[in-house]
Amino acid sequence: MKDHMGKSWRKVLIVFFWIMIWQLAAAAIDNHIIIVGPWETAAAIGRLVPSGEFWRSIASSFGKISLGFAAAFGAGAALGSLGFRFPVFSEFLEPVMTLLKTIPVASFVILALIWAGSKNLSILIAFLVVLPMIYVNTLAGLKSTDVKLLEMAKVFAMTPWKKIRYIYVPALAPYLISSCRIALGMSWKSGVAAEVIGVPGHSIGEKLYLSKIYLNTADLLAWTFVIIAISALFEQLVLRLLSCLAPKGGFHES
Amino acid sequence: MNLEICNLTKSFGEHTVLKGVSLIFEEGKTYCVMSPSGSGKTTLFRIIIGLEQADKGEIKGIKGKRFGAVFQEDRLCEAYSPLDNVMMTADRQVTRETAARELCRLLPEESITRPVCTLSGGMKRRTAICRALLAFWDILLMDEPFTGLDDATRKEVISYVREKTAGRLVILSTHQQEDVEALGARLVRL
Repeated sequence: MKDHMGKSWRKVLIVFFWIMIWQLAAAAIDNHIIIVGPWETAAAIGRLVPSGEFWRSIASSFGKISLGFAAAFGAGAALGSLGFRFPVFSEFLEPVMTLLKTIPVASFVILALIWAGSKNLSILIAFLVVLPMIYVNTLAGLKSTDVKLLEMAKVFAMTPWKKIRYIYVPALAPYLISSCRIALGMSWKSGVAAEVIGVPGHSIGEKLYLSKIYLNTADLLAWTFVIIAISALFEQLVLRLLSCLAPKGGFHES
Repeated sequence: MNLEICNLTKSFGEHTVLKGVSLIFEEGKTYCVMSPSGSGKTTLFRIIIGLEQADKGEIKGIKGKRFGAVFQEDRLCEAYSPLDNVMMTADRQVTRETAARELCRLLPEESITRPVCTLSGGMKRRTAICRALLAFWDILLMDEPFTGLDDATRKEVISYVREKTAGRLVILSTHQQEDVEALGARLVRL
């Protein structure tokens, strides 16, 4: 307990140290276009929060990026499972997934702008960035399933549902959780980047773009902190949901 | 119906593990298969329960039969409790309460709801035995089931196995002659 408190205080002090460095740098440069200090950034956040447009932009970007992530999670898990069940299918998908992993996000964004317009751009980009990560890890997780447990299930004639729940899901969960940690951050980075390029109305990306146009560095940093906070909250939410996959020692079937 | 093994042969590459093995196991009896390590007991069991294909020979009397097994390794879902592991494979008629009661005859009560990964080797072995005994089976195969159990626990477990398998066909492998007597089994040398 004491050790935990000590660690918490150390973290607070480290954060405080870097805020001080930031403040000193802002004071030394003394140019509000190049950099603003933490107080100006906090003031900008305070100014933005009461406005309806602030919450509307957050809701719009959050909804779209979450939707893209959720769709990619579902599709990646389903395609990965199909690829595991039918190896020919995974061979068939291999070039597409490799392409999705290697194409730069900016190229995606421009292509998607041409194909689909700016309105739902962040949904598509978050989807395309997250899909290969979830697919690859689903496939790897399923391949890591203990063959000896599968033999046991065969001998005892376990139902497919029980095999999925007690053998496949526990093997898959660590892979899905670690891939989600990366994919969640990536979905926000790429989703907001897409919004900055596509500038859909009432979005966080639009606000970042306007901050750049008006050289309003305080607002730019304020929105950046908002993105970090929402991304962290979203990550916690999804990881909590995923932790439900882990066994809790409960089995309620007869 | 008896289980009849006729002229069974199995090789892995150049190495022949089973060569023309013929055995008859009578319905309702318990058999202890004894032979030196590496002489093919596990391979024979794996062929009987359908996890390996024999190169030659046939097995009669297994069509439509369901098997229970205690593998050489425990093969438990480590993140789940002994109670969960038993319920995963248990016969439909076995309720959670019955499974808990049966497990408590082999394990300390507090251990039956703990994740298996926190149990000792001996406790895991007893869980694997209980899982097999509470499953639905016509023929039970146990590959060195009492390995890792101390003498007192071994006696308790053997007595439990005898009670639960009475009148059914059980084939188990062991290296201990006293297991044959304790189980009231017939000895088969491979």
